[in-house]
Amino acid sequence: MSESERELLEQRLISIAEGLDYPRTPDIATAVMTRIRPSTRPRFISRKLAWSLAIMLVLVSSLLSIPTARAAIIEFIQIGIIRIFPRPTEPPIDAIGTATPDPITPMTATASLPSATFIPALSLIAGETTFEEAQQIVSYSILVPTYPPDLGQPDYVFVQDTAGAMTILVWLDPRQSDQVLMSLHFIPQGSWAVEKAEPQILEETDVNGQRAIWATGPYPLRLYNGDLDFTRLIDGHVLIWADGDITYRLETGLPLEEAIKIAESLQPIP
Amino acid sequence: MDEPTLIRHAANGDASAWEPLVQTHQQVVFRLAYLLLGDPDDAEDIAQETFLRAWNHLKRFDSTRPLKPWLLSITANLSRNRRRSAGRYLAALTRAFRDEPAPASVEDKSTEYMEANDLWKAVQNLKEPDQQVVYLRYFMDLSVAETAAVLQVAEGTVKSRLSRALEKLRAIIKQGFPVFIEEHEGRES
Repeated sequence: MSESERELLEQRLISIAEGLDYPRTPDIATAVMTRIRPSTRPRFISRKLAWSLAIMLVLVSSLLSIPTARAAIIEFIQIGIIRIFPRPTEPPIDAIGTATPDPITPMTATASLPSATFIPALSLIAGETTFEEAQQIVSYSILVPTYPPDLGQPDYVFVQDTAGAMTILVWLDPRQSDQVLMSLHFIPQGSWAVEKAEPQILEETDVNGQRAIWATGPYPLRLYNGDLDFTRLIDGHVLIWADGDITYRLETGLPLEEAIKIAESLQPIP
Repeated sequence: MDEPTLIRHAANGDASAWEPLVQTHQQVVFRLAYLLLGDPDDAEDIAQETFLRAWNHLKRFDSTRPLKPWLLSITANLSRNRRRSAGRYLAALTRAFRDEPAPASVEDKSTEYMEANDLWKAVQNLKEPDQQVVYLRYFMDLSVAETAAVLQVAEGTVKSRLSRALEKLRAIIKQGFPVFIEEHEGRES
């Protein structure tokens, strides 16, 4: 295309742009300010959350006054920013002298795969965005697994302000698109800690030589999106590890060996 | 108060400082969303979401930088996200087809009008990334530097994308609306 032809085309585009009949711009400012102003409360701290924290504080304080409870409470495992409060290890009454498995039995690849997920949970999570925008928002590199090779890009990306921008990547199961295959959380230093209470099974392992925890069992995952929301994306296992200022949580129904391969394959998008 | 001061106040939670900034930029944000989505209701949603997201992330924004490119960047990303939702996209396409914006200042069916109409249709036939750069540069009247800031790429990349988009535009016009090209070639010779 010649220079003059290009200039003509540009002039015509500008001329069309100038003559374009846009709809009248609605009053965005009023709508936005209405949505902003009611939340004069501190952002991301809801009344519900404040009450929960207050009740939790009173409860913990009371329990700390009881020596046995104090011993149990202060024993937690910390990986990065995540604290895990293991289930109290009271042996079952019939455990002695029987073949009852230890509740701390390491997870193996033969363990039954947990049921996968409930997609509706995805619609409850605030902060849906695109990968590109998420990378603009957060100050750390959002890594993606290169294993398994056919995994591809995440189907959903969320960024939530938890006093640090937490990123959640979600992959759907290609065979059952209404189920979540796995999710990967990036929790930066300074975030409100995500806490897991009483996982049924805990196993210490490592990811790239860093201490990691593999946990299963019912637990509340706290996602703060303005209202305290107890939910989780996958009814499976969780691999937790930290690298620098970022704590990673990989939720998956896959066995430990696969989870570690996925965790160790994280790479920035070229 | 100037824009950087308002941004700093707003970043500290002063909603009254955010309001004039929204008023200043709401038209350009709405119009970009409208161009990208073709539906005024969707454009309004995206414009509101743009300002809410920006408000939530103001603390991370460097107040010495101009606000408009950042806002348009959020708008473009949110619009792309919305378009990816197949149902909404199809609905928007249907509405866009019905309410397609057209050059309104030209009321008759003159050659100029036909030309403008053909070129407008050609722009709408561009692929999304090409459309985006054309809308930002020529329809939003952003400079190359501002366009680069919105798209988060180097200025050189904007220039090469624009050249590519114009080439594609020319190809579409030549294929679909040959009269337009012939007339321009006639004018040059």
